[in-house]
Amino acid sequence: MRWSRRTLLRAAVAAGLSWPLRARAFGDASRLVFAQLRHGGRWDPRPDGLPRLAWEVAKRTSIETSPVVRALSAADPDLFRHPFVVLSSDVAVPTMADAEVGALRRYLSYGGFLLVDDASAQSGGPFEMSARELLARIVPAGKLTRVPREHVLYKSFYLLDGPTGRSVTRPDVEGIDVGGRLAVLYSPNDLVGAFARDSLGSWELEVVPGGEGQREKAIRLGVNLAMYTLCLDYKEDQVHIPFIMRRRRI
Amino acid sequence: MDGTSYNAWRLTSLSTLPGWALALAAVLLCAAIWLSFRGIRAEPSAARRRILVALRVAAGALLLVLLLEPGIELRAESRVRARIAILLDTSRSMRFPAAPNGPSRAEAMLSWLKSRLPDLSALASRFEIDVYGFDKELQPQDPDKLAAAVGQAAELAQGPSTDIVGALSSAAAAGTGGRPLAGLLVASDGADNAELVEGMTPQATAELQKLNAPVFALPVGAQALKDLAIDKVVVDDFAFVRNQVTVDVTVSARGFSSTDVPLVVKREGQIVAQKTVRVGGGTQRAEAKLSFVPDRTGKFAFQVAAPVYEGEALAQNNSRSFVLKVIRDRVRVVLVVGRPSWDVRFLRQLLKRDPNVDLISFFILRTPGDDTRSSQDELSLIPFPTQEIFQEQLKTFDLVIFQDFGNRPWYHLSQYLDGIASYVREGGALAVIGGEQAFAASDFGGTAIDSVLPVGLGVSGQPVEETPAQVRLTEAGRRHPVTELVPGLTANENAWARLPQLPGLNAVGPVKDNAQTLLTAQDGRPVLVVGEVGRGRTMALTTDASWYWSFVAAGQEIGPRAYETFWHGAIRWLVRDPALTPMRVAAEKTAFDPAAEPPVLDVQVRGSDYGAAAGAQLRAQVSSADDASPRAAGQAVAAADGTARITLPHLPPGSYKAVVTAKRPDGGDVGEAEEAFIVQPSGAELLQPAPRPDVLRAIADVTRGKVLDESDRLDTLPFRDPERVEVGQRKSRPLWDRWGVLAALCCIVGAEWTLRRRWGYA
Repeated sequence: MRWSRRTLLRAAVAAGLSWPLRARAFGDASRLVFAQLRHGGRWDPRPDGLPRLAWEVAKRTSIETSPVVRALSAADPDLFRHPFVVLSSDVAVPTMADAEVGALRRYLSYGGFLLVDDASAQSGGPFEMSARELLARIVPAGKLTRVPREHVLYKSFYLLDGPTGRSVTRPDVEGIDVGGRLAVLYSPNDLVGAFARDSLGSWELEVVPGGEGQREKAIRLGVNLAMYTLCLDYKEDQVHIPFIMRRRRI
Repeated sequence: MDGTSYNAWRLTSLSTLPGWALALAAVLLCAAIWLSFRGIRAEPSAARRRILVALRVAAGALLLVLLLEPGIELRAESRVRARIAILLDTSRSMRFPAAPNGPSRAEAMLSWLKSRLPDLSALASRFEIDVYGFDKELQPQDPDKLAAAVGQAAELAQGPSTDIVGALSSAAAAGTGGRPLAGLLVASDGADNAELVEGMTPQATAELQKLNAPVFALPVGAQALKDLAIDKVVVDDFAFVRNQVTVDVTVSARGFSSTDVPLVVKREGQIVAQKTVRVGGGTQRAEAKLSFVPDRTGKFAFQVAAPVYEGEALAQNNSRSFVLKVIRDRVRVVLVVGRPSWDVRFLRQLLKRDPNVDLISFFILRTPGDDTRSSQDELSLIPFPTQEIFQEQLKTFDLVIFQDFGNRPWYHLSQYLDGIASYVREGGALAVIGGEQAFAASDFGGTAIDSVLPVGLGVSGQPVEETPAQVRLTEAGRRHPVTELVPGLTANENAWARLPQLPGLNAVGPVKDNAQTLLTAQDGRPVLVVGEVGRGRTMALTTDASWYWSFVAAGQEIGPRAYETFWHGAIRWLVRDPALTPMRVAAEKTAFDPAAEPPVLDVQVRGSDYGAAAGAQLRAQVSSADDASPRAAGQAVAAADGTARITLPHLPPGSYKAVVTAKRPDGGDVGEAEEAFIVQPSGAELLQPAPRPDVLRAIADVTRGKVLDESDRLDTLPFRDPERVEVGQRKSRPLWDRWGVLAALCCIVGAEWTLRRRWGYA
């Protein structure tokens, strides 16, 4: 398919108008702005994934998001203005400098959140190996462990029975707890890949093996993830428990 | 010649041999007689046998007499009179009237004594009479002087406590000359506060039985048998706000037919708990548990009261006061959020980590315009519990925080706004944090919420101004505890100056008169404004990026401490943490004795800038549980360090609230603080003064005495009259050295020998 200039312009306007806009006054400070961690490798394998997730979050929830994804290196001081950062690639992540590792350690310990998404969806692949090695340097005291299905991540907005992504390489995600909260989430299933749409609104990547149902579940997991980072364990407050238990039984 | 006239005699032994030697001799003699009898068993003549045995027995008896050396003791004997102890109650409870509107118990007792002096004279011919006054100790008294001092009876009743059993025991042991105790007579109201405070006990019974003498008891004040008393009030010294407090009350009633008595617990004249107990008709004591839930922290004086019935002996004991300090276990905060954001996330994380905060959150996660693409059952969302938060539970919260929260029509909040404003005025706290839905964009303008906030909500321009703001302390903010990040004015200013810029601010209307701006932007836009409304406090923070002071500051190597310190200080100030109160009043004691020094209040006063308010004019007003209208009670001027001491006038027993207001010398207000205290007699003597004839009756029963009536004659009472003989002179004369005894012994022995030889015995 060939794109004429007019077609592209129309698509851009359509995308802009369809953004769930509300009054924007405080800038990014009050919004959920995803940051993409810029590293020495292929740091942005799904460039349309996070903007689409931001769109979905804004459309489905009361959270205000920004369509712009900030690409920041680990050593960039501006990283601390964006407490949600994504580390992704479909190949191995090059070794980071100690200063960058130290900055990420500080970022996580003071409240930042790191989503590590394996765009290759290849269990035991180069990305996973390099990412685990990097996380071991960033959080030497922590260890990636399976996030249990009872975790508030699976009920922070949607009631979910488990994780998914563009692929289902493994049935679970893993995480590292820092100070009582999930500070690192490792997704082996190319979660962001399931969100990616092209400029015309078509899904960029096929979701396997579950098709569009699986994609919707992946989007819901993304929404839950955004909600969790902003509300933490809010859904574990006592007031919510009877409602959630009742709906879980339905 | 011996001129003593002996009037009695008795036989005695003058032998110097020890008793055991005499006993051995008697046994040996008996054995010898028996052996001799065996030796003549073969004698066929019974007459001969009897004669020989008789002679031998007689000889043995005479020999024993010789060994015992019998004598006669002549004695000059006289009889000793027994004693009677009369005990008169001189404790303070005897100051109370013996009958409604009648003379005091002490006066009634002395009048009785005076009327019984002839009886005492009659008794004095048979007994020794000892008269004592007693309270917790025993003091000898002259009955004639007491009888002459009926008019000064109140001076007699000074004893701080009453110990009847101790007094009886001491009186029994106090007799001189070893005189036996014929009996005791006690005149008292029976209001014992020692061993018999709970009635007769096994220990008291044992002690009374040791007296070995009857106790005759005259109940004083027993005519006024009708009386209701709050005997005991048991409650903890402190309680937690919004947690139930239980007051255990013991009520006693005498002279009542079966009656339902309404008990109330009052605070500052307001009834906070009530319960009805049934007394009388055989039930002399009843216990009740009255419960209430204190709704605010502080120190409060409470009063437990029962009605005063007609004809009661005492009205004073129908109420009891106590002071209760109400504290927080944890600060209960409700966080209501218009939409999730990083500011929400960091504040929630801070509050959840704080062990002193009990956080209840409600976040709006979806608005009517959002499309979740799911059914409701696939979501974890719950309805906004507006009624529960803003009506049912509102008063249980110490602090309500609206964070980026507006009055959207679909929340249906309008019906609760007046209640929220009342909650604030009555001592609650409200903090409003900025955001795109807050302040001018909140739709709270012109509502009751607007009236309690420290800033106006009406603005002419945009509700949000995007110009970045570098915050700086105002003059008020330099000393205010909310904005004290580090000690020291300069260091604190530097600490604020180092913090990251805020990305924008909410536009707000003018700062209200009762408010103080603590932080502004570089261009003067208010960032942090605090105010006081009624008894409550409010705060407006016109940014939704205070999280920059935590996370962004951490990225700038400053760390999140400023953010944490700010919020902790803000919450403590909002909920009136006593440590952050600029003006404090403390009573010197929790309870003052009306008969001792007057109540004293220690005041420390600081201005709104938290500096010592030297020279402040202090005025104290006092109100009581019975009379809530405050009346002037004292004044003072604060010293250079802001301290002062106010001595109040003597106050009658009751519970009191003192409110001290401070004004600057130019008349401007500085502050106000309050304190609670009670005035009540110290010790149980005046707290439980009701007459207790039952105690006296029990004493009489245990000692086999009798309860007397005022008209009973004393000289006809059945006192014991034990024989007691005193020997003045004695003289002993021996009987054994008479020649006849020895001659008789020789004759008997000779006759026995002669007859034995004649009848053929060896």
